[in-house]
Amino acid sequence: MTRPRRVLIVGAGLAGARCAETLRAGGFDGEVVIAGAEPVPPYERPALSKEHLAGDRDAEALELRPRSFWDDAGIELLLGSRVVGFDLGARTGTTERGAQLRWDALVLATGSAPRRLPGWDGPGVHVLRTLADAAELGRELRPGSRLAVVGAGFVGTEVASTAHSLGAEVTLVDLAAVPLERILGAEVGAALASRYRDEGVHLRLGAGVERLERGADGRPSRLVLADGSEVPADAVLVAVGVSPEVDGLPGARDGSIATDACGRTEVPGVYAAGDVAGTWHPLLGRRLRVEHWTSAAGQGAAVAHALLGEEKPFAALPYFWSDQFGLRLQYVGHAESWSTVELAGEPGSFVARYLDARGEPEAALSVNRPGEVGRLRTELAAAAEHRARRLAA
Amino acid sequence: MSTYRITIDRSVCSGFGSCADLAPQAFAVGADGIATALVVETDDPAVLDAAASCPMAAITVEEVGKQEAA
Repeated sequence: MTRPRRVLIVGAGLAGARCAETLRAGGFDGEVVIAGAEPVPPYERPALSKEHLAGDRDAEALELRPRSFWDDAGIELLLGSRVVGFDLGARTGTTERGAQLRWDALVLATGSAPRRLPGWDGPGVHVLRTLADAAELGRELRPGSRLAVVGAGFVGTEVASTAHSLGAEVTLVDLAAVPLERILGAEVGAALASRYRDEGVHLRLGAGVERLERGADGRPSRLVLADGSEVPADAVLVAVGVSPEVDGLPGARDGSIATDACGRTEVPGVYAAGDVAGTWHPLLGRRLRVEHWTSAAGQGAAVAHALLGEEKPFAALPYFWSDQFGLRLQYVGHAESWSTVELAGEPGSFVARYLDARGEPEAALSVNRPGEVGRLRTELAAAAEHRARRLAA
Repeated sequence: MSTYRITIDRSVCSGFGSCADLAPQAFAVGADGIATALVVETDDPAVLDAAASCPMAAITVEEVGKQEAA
């Protein structure tokens, strides 16, 4: 394949930004264009639920690179430009406003959008994904204001923590019996639940939401749960997960875009990175779609290397972290299911290892034990190699 | 392009290695299991992500100025 002259990156998040700057760092001297739906330069999204919502880091301090970086690097940022149509034959994309963007190589890095509950919108009902969302949610958080958080995943629990620290009265609602159950399991979830309770957060677990009731001003007044009980609320955060933004993207199937280890899709000249990409993981020996910050960065860089003619897949084990209620959670590996969870430590400072049926670890979580994370990663990488060898045999 | 200066607090580093994953040209984990900076200064902004991803917050990256493109 001849080296492309014009690379169009759709999505101005971390994956797209890393792809663009890695191209420049690698000496690419063609055109690099990033088209982003949001009106702001690439920024650090994980802080939205934490430091930024708490008022400790303003929007400008979240930007991934200094303002002048993009111009200096010759990277064109087309902001407020959602690409809605793709013509693979003509190699052009069309933005919402009708602009035509040509490419020799196309990088899909559109990220995720928050799921919503049908009919749950209007004043006082929020999601949190963008800087604009954070600004709106932030206005609701005052000492004494009552925030109901629907969904005890990472966004929900981090916002609960921040809102609580700002003096809001927080109720966390989830259908599951404990917070973060699907990802961290019942044992860890129970430990977290007792931490949240000790901090003074109200937990309404094991009961789905039935409906939202509003006052005469159209704002939320209370949630009614499936068991008939009520949660008074001045504002509501709907934090029921995200969906990858793959609608209409070339190569998308079943909510993701399959790629090889370097981010190439099955469509020639089209690449994908970040939340939308189901990327072959060389160490785990399977395709994996994750929504982790480090994977977005690493996959964006891997696509750039592929465009430069180098095979440099992002082969690190998946890794993510969460800061909440004075706890630092760090998770390494990837376990969709497991046989047993092995806990070591005490509440507030422990390690959980997620073991398969053979007793081998597939993933591990450290809670306030950051010094152990390096050792856990080494152990998990060895177990993954062992597993891959066994499957190949 | 901007120039970034890297400092690692080796007494804090746990050898996790995400710095070397995200910016392999600037970081490596040595035989002692502790990360080292391969360069003192670089114009590669990947080092900012490496610092942000460090589980121990052991990496400091300072923007020390701009160099004019040649």
